[in-house]
Order: sequence, then C-alpha cells, then structure tokens
Amino acid sequence: MRPVVDDDRRARFEELAPALMEPLRRFLARRTDAATADDVLADTLLVCWRRLDELPAAPLPFAYGVARNCLANAERGARRQQRVAAKVASVDPPRASTPGPGEKDHPLADALERLRPDDAELLRLWAWEQLTPAEIATVLDITANAASIRLHRAREKLRAELRKNALVSGHEESREGRSS
Amino acid sequence: MTADGWNTDDELRARLHAADPASSLPPADPSRVARLLEDTMSSSNDGDLMTRSRETGTHGRNPLTWLVAAAAVLLIAGAGAYGLMNRDTGTPAPGSTTATSTVTELSAPVASSAKCMVPSAEVLGQQSLAFEGTVQEVTDGKVVLNPTNFYAGDVTDLVTVTASTADLQALVGAVDFQEGKNYLVSASDGRVSVCGLSGPWSADLAALYQEAFPG
Repeated sequence: MRPVVDDDRRARFEELAPALMEPLRRFLARRTDAATADDVLADTLLVCWRRLDELPAAPLPFAYGVARNCLANAERGARRQQRVAAKVASVDPPRASTPGPGEKDHPLADALERLRPDDAELLRLWAWEQLTPAEIATVLDITANAASIRLHRAREKLRAELRKNALVSGHEESREGRSS
Repeated sequence: MTADGWNTDDELRARLHAADPASSLPPADPSRVARLLEDTMSSSNDGDLMTRSRETGTHGRNPLTWLVAAAAVLLIAGAGAYGLMNRDTGTPAPGSTTATSTVTELSAPVASSAKCMVPSAEVLGQQSLAFEGTVQEVTDGKVVLNPTNFYAGDVTDLVTVTASTADLQALVGAVDFQEGKNYLVSASDGRVSVCGLSGPWSADLAALYQEAFPG
C-alpha cells in the first residue's frame, strides 16, 4: 500500500461519499430503526470504501445494494440476539418499528403490507428512492429486464390490493377507509 | 373511479411517495458526517482486508454467491454421504428400542476434505435430528449423550455416536466430545453433521438452533 495510492483513494472517496450519505440515510430510515440505521450506514460506507475501485460512475444504486445487504446482515444478527435474550429473560424486547409518515395513508400501508416483501421492496425503491428499473436492477442484482417486469407486476398487485381495500371499506377512497 | 389516485403509474408513485417515512428525516449534522467519513477511511489503513480484497478480488462477490457456493458444497457432501449410507444405515432402527430406554444411534460424519460453509439456520433446519445433550460417557469408539432437549427428530432417552477409530478422529477433530459437557448436535441420514452445525453448547449456536427450529 503506497501512500500515493492511498491519497488518491481518499480524494476519490471524499468526492463520492458525501453525495451518498443523505440518500443512504433516508434509505435506511425507511427500513429500520434509528440505531440500526446508524450502524448499517457505517458498515455500508466501509464496504463502499473497500470496494471503491468497483463503484460505477453512478454509485448510488450500487451503494443501495450494499446497504441492503448490510441491513440484512444486521437484522439476522439482531434476530439471533433477540432469541437469546428471549430465552434468558423470556421477555421479548419491543419490536423496533419504522417511523410512520405524519399523516398515515392507511389503505396504502395496508396494501403494501399484504404484498410479498419482494414486491413491496420493488415499489419502495421505485417510489421512495425514485429509481428507474435499470437502477433497481443494480440494487437487487437482477437484470434490468427482470426489474422492469417485476416492477410492472408489483404495481398491478398493489392496485389490486388497493381496489380490494376500497371495496371492503365501502368507500371509493377514504382516509378512514379501514374496515374495523 | 376518478379520484382513487392509483390509476396511472405517476399517480401511484406520487401516492407512495407521499407516504415516504423518511420525508421528515432531518439532514445529518455535517460534523458527524465528516467524522464518519474519516472513521471509514482510517479504519482500513491498518487493515489488510482491503489489500486482500484488491489482490484476490473476491470481496466484490455478492453474499448470495457465497451462499449458493456453500449450498453446492453441502449438496455434494450430502450426496456422497447418502451413497455411503445405502450400505450401512445409521438411522435408528424402530425395533432396536427397549422398554427401559430408547436410544438413537448415530455414526461419525464422513471424513471429507470439502470446505466448511458458514453454518446457517437454513442448512441446520434441514437436519433430520437436532438436540441438546450432555455427554454421559466417552468410551472406545462410542460417545453416549443424554439429551435434554430435542429440536428435531424422534425423542429418545439416549443418543449414541459410534465411529471407527479413524472416523472418530475426524469426529473428535470436528466436535470435541468430553464427558459431562453440554453439546448441541445435529444429524442427517444418521450421521452427525459437523462444519459448525454441531458443537459444544454456546449462546451463538443455541441461537442458531432456535432460529432453525422455531417453536
């Protein structure tokens, strides 16, 4: 490891990373609790730093993919710890929940919840991270074609769920549309 | 239905976007960001992880690649074990149980040079037998375990692991059975599974068993 190479790397990373920071923070805030998000953000940056040479010209979708894997790892570890804790104390720690939006769109949240996790994740990447199918493909490590087809299907499924919800509640579309 | 807000893709996206839980996330403190970046870059100055990854280039692989590779190794090992098992079945014979105590007989794992994978709940969950038990005695070519909890498989009073001297060496190398100590043991096709799937009781391994055999 020559210091010159090191300086080059540092300069590249310092140029790249700040732009990744806010999108990654939001990506994680949408999917986990604050403490886990902090940990996973640090992990994600570390992986990006180590794999700096592999980062594509548009590094964000790649970085989302890294964050996704880091988060999955963290959650596997957390589940394991929870089981041990449950065994010892027979009391489960409260489940960390993602912060909801101020004004919750219940029919939409319910419909998303009923989708397969993969489909819901595609829709989140599309609407929340505002990614194109090609970018989604990078995050999920699938082909652009597959991403495009799956996204189309996921949208149709979400529409079907929303329609079902509207029928059940008897309203076309209502904020209080939850059947209770 | 005109105002349902999901008919076009744009409408659907806008509606989803409005429900974005991160919309109210305040931006990070710049000094914290700077520190985080500095920590990130300095963390591998001393680490050979980075050097290694650049030399071998394997760090870029998706974790899934490793999982698939590991699963393949297991499949091959499993197929080999199954082939051997056809000659000499190690599964407990239903007729061999007595009225006083039931015994599950296991044999040592097939000596193999296949590399171990990281033990995962998925793989563990495929084992036909899994239990927690204390080693009652270790005699020549035979380990007797007193099971306290079965995660999977038929409940018996005792579990024995028999092995030829050579096999026992391999087994002892993999799982160091000692009298009076507590172990988590899994087996498939009548053979003890090694590669981290069986071993002395530890919180980590116990958690893995819990995960593999919920409930």
